[in-house]
Order: sequence, then structure tokens, then C-alpha cells
Amino acid sequence: MSRNVFTKTLWDARRSLLGWSVGTTLVALMYASFFPSMSGGAMADALKNLPDALKEGFHLDDLGSAAGYLGANTFGIVVPLLVLFYGASTGARAVAGDEESGQLDLLLAHPLSRTSLVLQRFGALVAGSTGIAVLVFVGLVAIRGAAELGSVSVTNLAAQCLNLALLGILFGALALCAGSVVGRRGLVFATTAAVGVLTYAANSFGAQLGLGWTRNVSPFHYYLGGSPLKNGFQWGDAGILAAASLVLVGIGLWAFNRRDINT
Amino acid sequence: METVIQLDGLAKTYGRRRGLTELTLDVQRGEIFGYLGPNGAGKSTTIRLLLDLIRPTGGTARVLGLDPRADAVALHRRLGYLAGDFVVDGRQTVRECLAFLAALRGDGAAARIPALADRLDLDLTARIHSLSKGNRQKVGLVQAFMHAPELLILDEPTSGLDPLVQRTFLELVTEARDNGQTVFMSSHIMSEVQAVADRVGILREGRLVALDRVENMRERAVRKVTLTFDAPVDPAEFDLPGVTDLAADGNVLTCRVAGSPDALVKAAARHTVTGLLSEEPDLEELFLTYYQHEGAGHVA
Repeated sequence: MSRNVFTKTLWDARRSLLGWSVGTTLVALMYASFFPSMSGGAMADALKNLPDALKEGFHLDDLGSAAGYLGANTFGIVVPLLVLFYGASTGARAVAGDEESGQLDLLLAHPLSRTSLVLQRFGALVAGSTGIAVLVFVGLVAIRGAAELGSVSVTNLAAQCLNLALLGILFGALALCAGSVVGRRGLVFATTAAVGVLTYAANSFGAQLGLGWTRNVSPFHYYLGGSPLKNGFQWGDAGILAAASLVLVGIGLWAFNRRDINT
Repeated sequence: METVIQLDGLAKTYGRRRGLTELTLDVQRGEIFGYLGPNGAGKSTTIRLLLDLIRPTGGTARVLGLDPRADAVALHRRLGYLAGDFVVDGRQTVRECLAFLAALRGDGAAARIPALADRLDLDLTARIHSLSKGNRQKVGLVQAFMHAPELLILDEPTSGLDPLVQRTFLELVTEARDNGQTVFMSSHIMSEVQAVADRVGILREGRLVALDRVENMRERAVRKVTLTFDAPVDPAEFDLPGVTDLAADGNVLTCRVAGSPDALVKAAARHTVTGLLSEEPDLEELFLTYYQHEGAGHVA
């Protein structure tokens, strides 16, 4: 039996959390397992004629190495976007979802402060996002040998998965913050997802559009830019993602403690 | 007497709309207070202010001697609340839901769940989403009563309950009062409240328009009187203050009397009265008279 909001939130979300982690891991493993067939000369030939800008945008310039391939495919496109959507939907549900459905009234009429509610919901988000990243990590370590990814160390995989977890936490914190301000789930989810996709694009294509500075405000830059798969833990980048999440939660708390709960 | 709820000029404005206008009201310990008004009169607004779910735009509120905002956690430990629209996650079982809410209180509240559920005939193993509206309301009642709080704040507690369960609910409320607990309950139906309430406040468009003990209201209420005489009478003789709808049919005179029937009885005493029938006053009608004037322009 759940004794507090943190465990209750995770328990209530158990099915969806299982879906997100298994789904994300399967996608990651599917991409990763294509590496042996892609690493030969055929792929390089096919890509040779692509415009440089496109290659740069999708990190297609280094597909021959395992780290380059994982960074461009597995951790470059679908997996971070899945984690982004996990964060956006979980964060939007944390305050705004329960507020719209009317469940927040009941919880807050109990001996539970608004701050405690938000922090426990954030805690559940951190646990969920970490769970997804851990499962992706475990899956990749398991197929590392078979998929000829041995040149990427387990430590470097862990480093990339840490950033993956932090990416989900950051977008979750953004949705949680927005929900704490406006309390409307659909709006919060859509806004967070849009910010996610835009900042993804800014990181990939900003430079080609003459908007190189946008990369510095994109969470994806701190997630992938330091190439953890090649360089191991990027504590500075990870720290920025974590700090930004905490700032967002702080802003959310500040706003949530000051406003009316909608009916 | 100890004041449990003390409201002084409490006001809430939503943008330009008025939700509640300068509400001043005291509720004493051990009292059942009926808070009446049509939908949208501001009943839920008042209740949500007491619980710090929304913040007043004017005036002050003290509940159990505490500030609803600054002392929210301490205050909520001592009260039970049933929302007008009780919603919980439908995928859990009743037992799971109630055990979690009891754990949030952490004061052994869970111990009373089986007895209360039994009394209300609520199946603890059912999933919430499979329950009817009335049964869901029972879940709400159990969570509000289970820790025997000093103060019960119930927003439209009987909505959706069948008459049998409604009776059980009224028993629970009366027992709570006998136990020294205070009950603040809202309703838009007078009859629901008049059976148990000690005092009643009537709210209209965000304003308290009446506040009195139920027996005083009953005295002021309109009752239908039928007088039978040994000979025909002239109705004009009975056209007294407070008497309306006069009609004479041979020896029988019918009318409606608001407040004291003294003048009517004295006028009748000039004749030979062979029969006198006075019906129970209908408070519902009294309640409605507060809404018949300036009925337009409702406040949401």
C-alpha cells in the first residue's frame, strides 16, 4: 500500500511507466542492433552524397564508429524524443492533470502542503525518468557484444544514459513548472512538447540557419553535445541539466503556492 | 462556546465577477450549520476559501483558531472535507484509495474504514470506476468521517445518495455533533438540511441573505391554515398583516399565514370555530422567497 504521494504516484503510473521504459528500450536496442550492417562501406557510400549540412545536423559524419553511430541514431533521434514526451506528459499530469480532473482539491485538503505535493510528484518523475534510462542502459550493455558495440565502454554508455535521464527530468520539470503556473494539462503538454521539438531543431540545425547561439539554450546540446559516448561523463553538462530542472521546479513552487486551485 | 469558524468580511472576486461578498459568519463548536443556496450562489467558493484551495480577495477567516493559509497542514489534520464533486483515480480499488488517504493523515484513521464502509454498504474491493455516483459519494463520506475530525466541511454531501443512505448520513452527522464535532454542510435543498441543522445560513449571489436557528425560521415560515366555522364568514374580516391567499367557501376559510398566527386566531375567536388545521410550515418555500426577487443575474 502506498503511504505517501511519491510512492502512490509511481504505483498509479506503473503500467504507463512500464510501457515507456520497455518501449524506449526496445527502440534503442533496435537501432543499436543495426550497427553491424551499417558500419560497412555501403552505408558510408550512401551517405557520401548527402549535403554536409544534413550530415552535420543529424551527426551522420561519423557513422563508422560505434560511438558515432549510437550518438547519431540511438541517442540522437528517437530515444531522446521519447524521453522528452515521457517527461512532458508526466510533468503535465503532476499538477495540471490532477487539477483539471478535480483530484487536487482532495489531496490538498489533507495534511499535505502544496510544496510537499509538488516535490513528491517531481520525485516520482525523477524516479520514472531514471528507470527508463537504467533499462536502456541495461539493454545496451546486454547486446553490446553481439551488436559489435564493444568500442564504447560501459562507463561511456552510463554517461550517455545519465544525460538521457536528466533530459527527461528537465522536460518533466518544465511541464511541472508550467502546470504549476497555469494548471491546464493539454496546454502544458503541448507547450512543453513544442519547446522540446524546437530546441531539438535548434541544436541540430541552428548553426546552419545562422542561429548558432540557439544551441546554447537547447537542452539537447547539454545532453549530447559533449559526446559522452566518446568522452565519458560530462559533469558540466549534466550539472547544467540538473540545475535547470531545479530552477524550473523552484519557479513552479513559487507560482503554485501563490495561486488559486482551479475547479 | 468556542468559535470554530470565524469569517469576517470574507470576499472573493474572480476577475470582474463576484464570487462572495463580505461574508461575516461564526460557527460554534458542536453545531451543525446548514449552508444553503442555489447552485452558483458561492457555497463552494466559501468552502474552498476555508480550505485554502483559493485565497480571499478581502476579509479574514479563522478556522479552529488557525489561519487557513499559514497553518494549512495543521488545520487539515483536524478537519474532514467532502468536495461537491468528489473525484479520485478510478483505476484503484476503494480500499486502496481510502488506505492511501488515511496514510496521508497518519493518525490511525484507517482503523475506522471497515465499520464506516459497512454502515454505508460500500464494497471495499470494488474499483472506483465501476461504482455508481452514489457509491462514489460514499467513498467521499468515509474519507471525510474516518478520522473523526473536529470539523467536518461537507459540500453537497447527499448528492447522488439514495434515501436509505441519506438517512444513514444524517445519523452520522448527528452522531458527530453528539460527539462534540462541528459540521458545516452545504446544500441547495432545504429539506436535506432542516432535519439536522441547528442553524442555517442562506446565500444568494455571493451574499448572506438570512442567518438564523432552524426553529426561528420555522416560526417565521409560511403555513397553510384552514378554519371551519359554524356559519359562513366574511373573508374581509381576516385580511390581516401576514395573512395571504384568503379564500372562503361557505363555512370554511383557508389562508396562508407568515410568522405568528396570533392575529388570525383572535379574529377567528369572534366566531364559533368548529375546526382548525395548521400544516407544518414549509421551509422550502421560505427558502425560495429569498430567490424570487431580483432573480436575474446569477453569479457563477
